Amino acid sequence: MEEEVKKVLIIGIRGALAQILSRLILENHPTWEILGLDARSVSNIPKQKGLIVKKIRYSRGSFENIFRDHSFDYVYHLARVSHSTNNHSDFTQRLELNVMGTNRILDLSLRFNVKKIIILSTFHVYGALSDNSIFLKEDAPLRASLKFPELRDVVEMDQICSTWIWKYQSKIDSVLLRPCNIVGTEIANSMSQYLKSHLSLKPIDYNPIFQFIHEFDMANVLYRSINDLPTGIYNVATDEFITLRKALKIVGGNGIPFPISLASVMNNFLNLTHLGIAPYLVEYLKYSCLIDNSSLKKHLGDDIFRFKMDESLKLIS
Amino acid sequence: MVLSKADQQQKEKVFNKLRLKYKDYNDPWGFNLETIKQALEIILPFYKNYFRVRVFGKENIKDTSYMIVSNHTGQVPIDGALITMAFAYEFDQPRVLHSMVERFMAGLPFIGDLSAQTGAILGDRDNCKWLLSQDESILVFPEGTRGINKSTKNFYKLQRFPSGFYRIALQAQRPIVPISVIGAEEMFPFVLQAPKLGKKLGLPSLPIPFNLFPLPAPIDIYIGKPINVPTNLSSDAPEKEIRPYVQEIEESIKMNIEKGLKDRREFFDRVRNPIQDFMKKL
Repeated sequence: MEEEVKKVLIIGIRGALAQILSRLILENHPTWEILGLDARSVSNIPKQKGLIVKKIRYSRGSFENIFRDHSFDYVYHLARVSHSTNNHSDFTQRLELNVMGTNRILDLSLRFNVKKIIILSTFHVYGALSDNSIFLKEDAPLRASLKFPELRDVVEMDQICSTWIWKYQSKIDSVLLRPCNIVGTEIANSMSQYLKSHLSLKPIDYNPIFQFIHEFDMANVLYRSINDLPTGIYNVATDEFITLRKALKIVGGNGIPFPISLASVMNNFLNLTHLGIAPYLVEYLKYSCLIDNSSLKKHLGDDIFRFKMDESLKLIS
Repeated sequence: MVLSKADQQQKEKVFNKLRLKYKDYNDPWGFNLETIKQALEIILPFYKNYFRVRVFGKENIKDTSYMIVSNHTGQVPIDGALITMAFAYEFDQPRVLHSMVERFMAGLPFIGDLSAQTGAILGDRDNCKWLLSQDESILVFPEGTRGINKSTKNFYKLQRFPSGFYRIALQAQRPIVPISVIGAEEMFPFVLQAPKLGKKLGLPSLPIPFNLFPLPAPIDIYIGKPINVPTNLSSDAPEKEIRPYVQEIEESIKMNIEKGLKDRREFFDRVRNPIQDFMKKL
């Protein structure tokens, strides 16, 4: 018997994770149809049977038209704008896109009877603070913006989703994922770039503990969220953890040894992105922010991850 | 300060045993056996020859997981380092105690990282629970900075213990070992406290000692008998139900403080003995 055709919307298709996810969905369900949207150019995205990509402006009108024209079964919101710069105009734009944009996507998903929405947040929302407990659970306070106010759009977006998914749980299934550092050969996030860069600052005065997940494993969690994760918020991390210095050693990044506590001060005057370090990342290079994965494992099992942490790190070196 | 041949041999034995014990241990703070080795190399000569630490009650300790609870004295947490040294060096089955440190210290550059590598981590409930669940032993100072930063007139006065540590022991069902340290107060015998200035500088306290380097006060560590926690008491029990058990720990520590103060060595005998020896020779 032929499988029922499902329609999937992936917002933020230009991202590596979204592209791996689309491949994964179509490999497992060749009859499904995916519409991938992005505000950035989509011309370089490899063509796949079943995937249509479109460049759109992230505005209420554009999204409304898209939702009206298609009856999506599943929506992936992977379009959180990265917080890797501290430029004020970027921040205002980020606030608009991440907070207001997310609100619109949630609202439209509800209005147009989407079966399930899966939203990608980040573990950064918990914040890197010296008094962090180990293995923060999903109900831990989100303190990222206490130390670094430029992260408040990320926290705000997460909080909007957290409130929303419980409010409308009887009408729509929703999953909010807070992954640890995603690394891989295709993904180009701040952490991957930091680890690989030969010009980035390597702290000599702190040595926080990190969790890493391979991009393929993360895409697999996103994929399995459709059928295997009930409505809720989930941290995504493997059981393994590693000190920053060991991780850098595995990747082979020959950065510049530097007291990162001075970098915190310099961050107020300089744009540290030129030194291979996103300003928000400074705090995460000082203090650990480890997340608990027991909720995720409860639903997906103990053997969900294909890549060991050192394998994931070696692959990006 | 040079170690005797016997101490050198004992040190090597300890390292080998620790290597074996912790070969598969990995904690989420960056525990590093090589850093521990380096720390022991530095602390041991002071432990043996400068503070001339004596340990009483070694027979009370078995090779198992405990919550070690001690009085806190001496302006800087040298007492913690010496207790940790004692548990690594004086027993057939050495182990690295995980000291619970202040939030302030855990966040300091270099120091926070070094502490974490040697097993001393932020004194947080979840951290304690995790360590006890891994069969590790933890060292807690329930008095916190109130204990360590006492003015001269309050030396050896045990401050009231809050009940948090006992609730953790209850939850983990681990026996509590009471420890009394005698001598650490005399490392910095004359101290003034400047709490207001400390607060302005963002410090938990600001002791102003007469001497900047600790004096060679002889240290005695008294290890009490392990006290089992009740199995039928919830860790969320009301304070009035927990308090008598906490007082039992306090009393046990106080008793050994009093005993230790009576039996302790003369503070300046380290200086006086060589002079007396010299005079005798003359």
